[in-house]
Amino acid sequence: MQTSPASSGRDAALRPEPLVRRLLGDGTTIIIAILVVLTVVFAATQSDALSASVLTDILNNSLPLALAAAGGTLVVVTRGFDLSVAGVVSLSNVLVAVHGGSGPLGALEGALIAAGAGAAVGAVNGYFVAYWNLQSIALTLATMIVCSGMTLLILDAPGGDVSDFMTYTMTDRIGGVVPVALAIAVAVYVVWRLLRRTDWGVGLYAAGADETAALLAGVPVRRVKLIAYVLAGVCYGLAGFMLTALTSTGTPNVGEPYLLLAFAAIALGGTSFAGGRGGVAGSMLGALTLTLLQKVLFSTGVSSFYTGIFQGVVMIAAVVVAVLFARIGTRGEAHA
Amino acid sequence: MADALLQPQAAPDAAAPPVLDMRGIARSYGATVAVRRVSFDIRPGEIHALLGENGAGKSTVVKVLSGIVAPDSGTVALNGRPYAPASPMAARAAGVSTAFQELSLLPNLSIAENLLLPRQAKGAAGLVSIAQGEARAAQMLDAYGLGHIHPGVLVRALSLADKQRVEIMRAVARQPRLLVLDEPTAALSDPGWLFEILERITAAGTGVLYISHRLSEVRRLCRRGTVLRNGESIETVSLDGIDDAGIFRLMVGAAARTAQTARREPKREVAEAFGVTHLAGGTVKDITLSVGVGEIVGVAGLEGQGQRDLFRMLAGVMPAGSGQIRVQGRPVRIASPADAARVGIGFVPEERKTEGLFLGLRTDINMTLPVLGRLGRFGVVDRAREQAVVAREAERVDLAARYLKLKIGALSGGNQQKALIGRVLAAGPRHLVLFDPTRGVDVGTKAVIYDLIRAFVDQGGAALVYSTELAELIHLVDRCVVVYGGRVAGEASGDALSEARLVALAAGHGV
Amino acid sequence: MTQAPLTGNGRPADTRGGAGARGWLGRLDRDVRTALALFAISFGLVIASRVLGPNFGSLAQMKAILVISCFLMVVAFGQQMVILLGGLDLSVASMMTLGGVLAFKWVGGSDGAVLWGVPAILAVTAALGALSGAGVSLLKIPPFIMTLAMGVILYGATLGFTQGTPSGQPSAPLSALFANTAFGTPILYLMVLAVVAGCFVQTRTSFGRKVYALGTNPTAAYVAALPVHRLTIATYAISGASAGLAGILMLGYVRGVTLTLGQSYLLPSVAAVVVGGTSIIGGRGIYAGAAAGAVLLTTLSTIVDSLGIAEGWRTIIYGAVIFAALVLLRDDLAQLLGRRRRTQETSQNNP
Repeated sequence: MQTSPASSGRDAALRPEPLVRRLLGDGTTIIIAILVVLTVVFAATQSDALSASVLTDILNNSLPLALAAAGGTLVVVTRGFDLSVAGVVSLSNVLVAVHGGSGPLGALEGALIAAGAGAAVGAVNGYFVAYWNLQSIALTLATMIVCSGMTLLILDAPGGDVSDFMTYTMTDRIGGVVPVALAIAVAVYVVWRLLRRTDWGVGLYAAGADETAALLAGVPVRRVKLIAYVLAGVCYGLAGFMLTALTSTGTPNVGEPYLLLAFAAIALGGTSFAGGRGGVAGSMLGALTLTLLQKVLFSTGVSSFYTGIFQGVVMIAAVVVAVLFARIGTRGEAHA
Repeated sequence: MADALLQPQAAPDAAAPPVLDMRGIARSYGATVAVRRVSFDIRPGEIHALLGENGAGKSTVVKVLSGIVAPDSGTVALNGRPYAPASPMAARAAGVSTAFQELSLLPNLSIAENLLLPRQAKGAAGLVSIAQGEARAAQMLDAYGLGHIHPGVLVRALSLADKQRVEIMRAVARQPRLLVLDEPTAALSDPGWLFEILERITAAGTGVLYISHRLSEVRRLCRRGTVLRNGESIETVSLDGIDDAGIFRLMVGAAARTAQTARREPKREVAEAFGVTHLAGGTVKDITLSVGVGEIVGVAGLEGQGQRDLFRMLAGVMPAGSGQIRVQGRPVRIASPADAARVGIGFVPEERKTEGLFLGLRTDINMTLPVLGRLGRFGVVDRAREQAVVAREAERVDLAARYLKLKIGALSGGNQQKALIGRVLAAGPRHLVLFDPTRGVDVGTKAVIYDLIRAFVDQGGAALVYSTELAELIHLVDRCVVVYGGRVAGEASGDALSEARLVALAAGHGV
Repeated sequence: MTQAPLTGNGRPADTRGGAGARGWLGRLDRDVRTALALFAISFGLVIASRVLGPNFGSLAQMKAILVISCFLMVVAFGQQMVILLGGLDLSVASMMTLGGVLAFKWVGGSDGAVLWGVPAILAVTAALGALSGAGVSLLKIPPFIMTLAMGVILYGATLGFTQGTPSGQPSAPLSALFANTAFGTPILYLMVLAVVAGCFVQTRTSFGRKVYALGTNPTAAYVAALPVHRLTIATYAISGASAGLAGILMLGYVRGVTLTLGQSYLLPSVAAVVVGGTSIIGGRGIYAGAAAGAVLLTTLSTIVDSLGIAEGWRTIIYGAVIFAALVLLRDDLAQLLGRRRRTQETSQNNP
């Protein structure tokens, strides 16, 4: 018998998946499609839909959720669940409202405080999940509760003093054209692409797919996970920071709805909860979609009592479509 | 087969320090003693076999060498210097490289990324460069005869055999001083590729620890072998001077039941138990075969020729594309495992750990799962009846009673396989479909499994068995069908049923 | 997977009941031990709270706490079943609210209405749960999303048909469950019964066993011809019904309903299950543990709430205790304290 494996009758060369297949299987494509459809509906139902002010408004409203979802994505890729997003968003919102300074420097100070708080919580989460093997869903539930307690200690009723810079400039457009929110979102995405192309980035997806194999290959799995949680915390902190700019106040339990919404955005964006697959772009677009959906429902005059139903149905439909396309996209994968 | 390729090994250099010198290694996990005293050495350029039944301690030795666990006591020396790696990376850095039995590639990463883990090729600004990584990977693939695989392909798109090749290649490419291969040919039906590589690296002085159940391969490659039994190294033997029976005796500690028995008489005209006609789907293009009542029909072939999908369609795990499946003369539609069970087909899947067993549950619970409905009323399980069924099945598959209350994950591979077959039999099938039932199973258990299959058909059942161990297949079956390219390449029975003939058919030569 | 080596094992004959190898019954003991430990801690907490004042640490208070923990206990059963399957049910809050609202409307006011109203509500919530199960199993929607969406939809629907204000009346039979009678409070006996029945269903029925199997290894369950879809749908239906039942009971206790009555039970239901020793990936855990977890959490929040300190501190303490419970109830705590050197433990399937 010949020794060359190519003689066993298979294709002579194994190439990576064709582009079309890959696009179909990539969750991001789905969410973009959904987004386009929603935009069309929105434009049809609201006269000034595509005006600069409305678009900026939508971007401002979706940025906190987009940041939260971006952070959550990092943890989901490692097959974890980070419930502390709600707690950190509230905590940083309140911290910035109370301790943030004025002017651009004050805003920077606020951002650093928010990011620092998020990183600290993330470090605790990451340490116990990665080094002590605690279940992430349970641990982050505990840290979320503790965070919300700390939030109450700082501010037990809506208040705080948010600078004008935050309230107006951060929610405005740069040079009258580019919304600050868009710039921040793009910046975050760019940072993510850079991180993705580091050993940590590759290790993140490796650890999410198969920790044992990753360990054997030399990936410092525990450190990779710890960093993932810390970065996630930073994202949540920044989400709270932008939320302060948006609401111009500190609210102790403002982060509560973010828990479910962030994960909904992540799922919509095509990231798999089984780990090892997905990305930040999809999640951020998912957040935009959810926010836009709310606006669309409002502008089409759906009674606020029933918006919930529509949101839920759209979420299910979007995920079904995403799962369907993902399966088409991966159908060719071979077995012996 | 690949005999001509491999020259008998040149006598290893006896003056240089041994590549590996393991003395008195012991390791326990809590109350479980995995290894109590293992000692052996490997000379430069030697391919040294590690033999033993499942549970004898081979995988623990692999883990110690690979830096996954540290021994409780004993010493290991690599090229004369103390070797005690604190992690897999440290082991690699010291020059020990392992190709694992449970393949350790990441399915969602490309081949290039896998090969370069944990440090990818970097380009501008210190960022990972996919182009450079793939270029480096392509070089490696070419150098090891795998140039037909593009380095950008995701590992999950590869066939099992290609995955194994990449796993082995990854280990070899690190140019280790000691190469550890754990069942490297399990998924390769043509090991010539590997033998070539081994010849190359041993000529350069690398030592190889070779773990395999396939004695024919071991004899071809190795001059010396160490036999483990119950966590102890019993003896290091020169393989020329001992026959298979002698090796089995060392492994088992007593005269082993060999899997060889008289070849069965080819059956004359019998009623068909089950069969397929022009079946197609997945990697199956067009297969027609038939299994008669009381018959054991074997299936042989190189990997990826359609046998896996054939079996999966019969088992209902994969929906049939086109063609007909007949059970007891009547065409049936098998769209799910429940359908298959309903028509009396019992399926023993390929990978017991992922497709067959519930590792976290007790053995007896595993075994009664499919028949729970019959063991009580109103959905409540009658303990007494359950115990009776379990006892009966355990006896049938020769599974010691003391294993029944243990979590099945704690059992050795052979015992797990026995329990799995016991579960399949408990449902009372009339037709058995078994895919590589003796994979990763020790010699003693293999004999038990073959006896089980024979007893099953003697009682009026019918069996279809796929195995990669041709030598054993031809002693088990009445006739053997060979698949190639998704079709039947030929059939052999009676006197024509020989390993050579099967191999020829499997390679596409219809002699 | 913290005890078992990566591949292969030591010889089972040498195993002397090490924590990893001693079969399911051994694990049952461990789960029951966890449950007992949690009950003991709750008990201890109540006793310890005597320092806070004469009203604390009494038998009466303990009874009162047990009574109000019934809601969480009931919800936790359904949640645990779903978690055993490897899933999650985030719709329990809305389901519970729905159960309460429907009970207010249908069961309240007339004594006889209990007989047909309660089964009807259970049927409705079970059917809705079954829908979630169908979405998860047939359409392959991740449980997180499916149940989240279902919860949102249900809440919207409830909000819609009540137009923001639920109408109805309290139900005397339901309230009677919580009344202090000469023989004690009826609900307490029912709770004990429920725990026993729950454990029984999980371990001694064919259905329960199959749920464990499916949660342990979905692929093997499919190959073994287990009715995967039916099992999943049934389990989510049970979760729906459990939450609905909790809502019905709530009407008996509070004698009125609000649209947020289920809200504070969602995360605690998950916490109770997890603290009670159930693995979030499925296949392991028993109801006694989840029930004990529910009691502990209720005890904790009751005592902490009456500490008379700032809400922030109360919340922190609550979270810290859950954290402590997680750390102390770890599987591999013993091994951690023992040998840590040079053994890489990974949380291989630890989400």
